[in-house]
Amino acid sequence: MDILLSQLFTGLSIGSVLLLVALGLAIIYGAMGVINLAHGEFVMLGAYATWLLQSTLGLSLLPCLFLVFLMVAAAGWAVERTVVRFLYRRPLDTILATWGVGIMLQQAVRLAAGADLRYVETPNPLSGSIDLAGVAIPSYRLFVLAFAAALLGVTWFVVQRTEFGMKLRAVTQNREMASCTGIDSARVFSLTFAFGSGLAGLAGALVAPIKSVAPDMGTNFVVDAFMVVVVGGVGSLFGTVASSGLLGGGTAGFAFLLNDTLAKALVFLGVIVLVRFRPQGLFAATGRR
Amino acid sequence: MPRITSAAQFLPYILFCGAILAVPSIVSDPFLLNKFARYLALGLAAAALALSWGYCGILNLGQGVGFGLGAYAMAMHLKLKTSPVHTGTAGLPDFMVWNNLDHLPWFWQPFHSGLFALAAAVLLPALVAALLGWFMFRARIAGVYVAIITLAMLAVTNLLFVDQQAYTGGLNGITDLAWFEMGGVEFDPYSPAFYYLSAGCLAFFLMLGMVFTRSKAGLVLRAIGSGTDRVLFFGYDMASYQCLAFSLSASMAGVAGMLYAMVLEFASPTFMGVPISLSMVIWAAVGGRGSLLGATVGAILVNGTQGSLSETFLDSWQLILGALFILVVVFLPNGIAGLANSLGARLSGRARGMAARSAAPSALLNRR
Repeated sequence: MDILLSQLFTGLSIGSVLLLVALGLAIIYGAMGVINLAHGEFVMLGAYATWLLQSTLGLSLLPCLFLVFLMVAAAGWAVERTVVRFLYRRPLDTILATWGVGIMLQQAVRLAAGADLRYVETPNPLSGSIDLAGVAIPSYRLFVLAFAAALLGVTWFVVQRTEFGMKLRAVTQNREMASCTGIDSARVFSLTFAFGSGLAGLAGALVAPIKSVAPDMGTNFVVDAFMVVVVGGVGSLFGTVASSGLLGGGTAGFAFLLNDTLAKALVFLGVIVLVRFRPQGLFAATGRR
Repeated sequence: MPRITSAAQFLPYILFCGAILAVPSIVSDPFLLNKFARYLALGLAAAALALSWGYCGILNLGQGVGFGLGAYAMAMHLKLKTSPVHTGTAGLPDFMVWNNLDHLPWFWQPFHSGLFALAAAVLLPALVAALLGWFMFRARIAGVYVAIITLAMLAVTNLLFVDQQAYTGGLNGITDLAWFEMGGVEFDPYSPAFYYLSAGCLAFFLMLGMVFTRSKAGLVLRAIGSGTDRVLFFGYDMASYQCLAFSLSASMAGVAGMLYAMVLEFASPTFMGVPISLSMVIWAAVGGRGSLLGATVGAILVNGTQGSLSETFLDSWQLILGALFILVVVFLPNGIAGLANSLGARLSGRARGMAARSAAPSALLNRR
């Protein structure tokens, strides 16, 4: 029972990190059809921004979060304005161009902050662990889980209940028609890209205390996040949540039975089979594109 | 997309192959030869990608799978040749000793033979690609989803090789390799012999690719690349053609990986990593995805520039490379080859225009 519970929590915990990273990607891919391979680098930027704020201003993690969101969102906005906006009609080319952006961001950070690993401190009140039905659970992991859920709520609210979200949905469904009704679709896309990047930055800030911070940390995140978005189904927030849970749980389960490396290999193998039989994802939003 | 064949289109290929085969008669510095041989191997990998991506529209982000399998096949053979030196006991490679294996696994046994290793480097990647291709293309998976499946396949292969430490050397890979030997020739990676091997492989596959893409099957492939529906409506068995291109491309990547392992004298899981696979995409895109030769030249140019930069400048190189790549993708989708083609077309067009004008000046005058 204890083992089951702790495995369940490990799965949830992996899933929540996946969700954090994938959320921004899901928004950008779902709404704009842009496959952003620089997403991992935005996560990395978020982690470095946190490290910078912490080491220079002495801020603890929590007050950093809002600033980090703004900083990385600004970076995302700049990338959209300078590169991505040229490629809306060529989705495959966005893969390539954003990979180029990723290389540049990685190297820029390596030049500015050095190639050494950096460490971000866990905020004090969250460094302990909580006893839950006989299982010790690190409270920071619990916090990440809660934060991921909250962020999901915020994203849902932004997309479904705000004026910006309404415009975004209109542009997603039919860009020309939306433009005809006076929606500035270029601006909507810029802001969406910035929002998605900001979410990636937040993910970076939150994973920074758990994982080591290095310039090339993004590469693994982006592949994982991609798989989550594709399995979940493009344009479906619920799908993204479900598939983060599924992949997180799968990874934790296989890791318990075998080992971490094989677990990831098996999960990826599962993704291949799934994409083959259901390329639209498990929970595809219908009636789009 | 390149236009339909003309004899003149063979000319650049012949010139290029002649040029790379002539290099050892000019360059004698062994380190330079070694460097050039490495660039040619990477050029072959980029040409392989152009074959599936540029011609057939299969964006393979997992080109590292074929490349890595080829590299490991050769590395296994070369390791077996050298291991008694390093371990002394029953010819067991050192990492197997560290992992407490007491005898050589059965699938390592045939790699005592150099011919078997060569065959494996060519056929194994093709087999894996054929299986994956058959699995994907039967379901008419295309575009972005091919990219995702191949990316996932790359991750799976990489993780498996890292995980099976006792059989593959894990994260370190297979190191301390001997030199390849065949027909009494020893291919020291710093010798002209090895350079000729590398250049010969590249020339052979470029010519093969050229002939293949100009054949009827190649025509169908290019048709698939520019629009799948029409090909289907004409009743072609599209999946088979896609499998063919995908496997041939993997085979070429396997040979490239084999040469790469020989030139670097090791094989590691980074050979089947995401960064190198996407780098191959960059090279092909810079050189021109629609042209085998273009992609090859792209790989050689990018790697050559990178290799000739001093250590201090190397830091900013990645920045320049990223920027260059973005510029190429946004403004020059057909790469250097596309640029050369359109320049050539404009020049010949102007020449033709001049000829027409001088031939019929009165007609022009009359119109005026």
